[in-house]
Amino acid sequence: MMKVSYALNKVLTAVARRHLMKDRLTDDDIAGHAVSADERTALTSGDIGTLYELGANPYLIRRVFRSRFKI
Amino acid sequence: MAEVVAAALTSHAPLVTGKPDVSKPEMRDRLYAGFRELQRRLAAARPDLVVMFVNDHLQNFPYSNMPAFCVGLADGYDAPSAGGATLMRLTPRRLDGRPAWGTALLEAGLAGGVIDFAYSYEMDPWDELAVPLSFLMPEATLPIVPVYTNCAAPPLPTMRRCHTMGGFVGSFIRTRPEHERIALVATGGISHWVGTPQTGRINSEWDHWVLDHIARADLEPLLSLTHDEIERDGGNGGQEIRNWMAVLGAVPGWKGEALAYEPVAEWITGCATVWVHP
Repeated sequence: MMKVSYALNKVLTAVARRHLMKDRLTDDDIAGHAVSADERTALTSGDIGTLYELGANPYLIRRVFRSRFKI
Repeated sequence: MAEVVAAALTSHAPLVTGKPDVSKPEMRDRLYAGFRELQRRLAAARPDLVVMFVNDHLQNFPYSNMPAFCVGLADGYDAPSAGGATLMRLTPRRLDGRPAWGTALLEAGLAGGVIDFAYSYEMDPWDELAVPLSFLMPEATLPIVPVYTNCAAPPLPTMRRCHTMGGFVGSFIRTRPEHERIALVATGGISHWVGTPQTGRINSEWDHWVLDHIARADLEPLLSLTHDEIERDGGNGGQEIRNWMAVLGAVPGWKGEALAYEPVAEWITGCATVWVHP
């Protein structure tokens, strides 16, 4: 079964529901969410590959970081 | 007695209508022709109601509350909403729901102990309704009842469980005393990778394998597929063929005639339109 990070999906859902698309998240976007250090780094650098590996849902990755995708 | 008078399977992707100009024109035209033929056949079947087997893309259900199956009990559904309309290049519109019908289905599932559906009085649909229905119901003349299956946030219900769920819906329809003509439409799939490191990949060989089995009503190899096998060969978007299994479960023995299949790279989706008939 694929890895699931509730913390990552919670913060990405919160951003997506504000209809925001980001190149990278800010500390303000993440404030109040219990993400790990690795998760924080991936969010603030917009590292979509690492976010996937850490258990972020790919539909949420796509919605929030749409500009990071070539297609 | 109520009866199933039509069944169809289609893909959904926002770019099908949102960016028609970026695809190869001949592929787009063949797919659009497949949608139009589905629309013609659906209209000829004269349904009173369309039951839509679809999936959320984390628009509605968060990780704090994720149903496997959810019946829509809303009075209406934006297909698309004003926000989605811009991306999908469609006119915003609202389709009527049939909450009483959905409630009857929900209660039958709970009473029979077969399927414990969740339910929702308010949904925010995305392309799963708007894009295919822009072709199949260009005029908003028919009410819909959506049945949402979790195809996007693993762990997911098994393919066989989705087939069983559809079988229950089919039985529910056929035991209703009302004279109703019901159409069943599933949307999603076939192969596509969305938001993963393989975003943009399409596996047309697997797509044809899926379509060939549906054409023969040879479902056992499909129902035996595991989550990981689908993820490997069909991508996370390929998990949406659970919706197709539900419709096929509702009409045992019916066969799927692929009217169009186009692996449209620019829309990152293996796109199909399938008419299902006895």
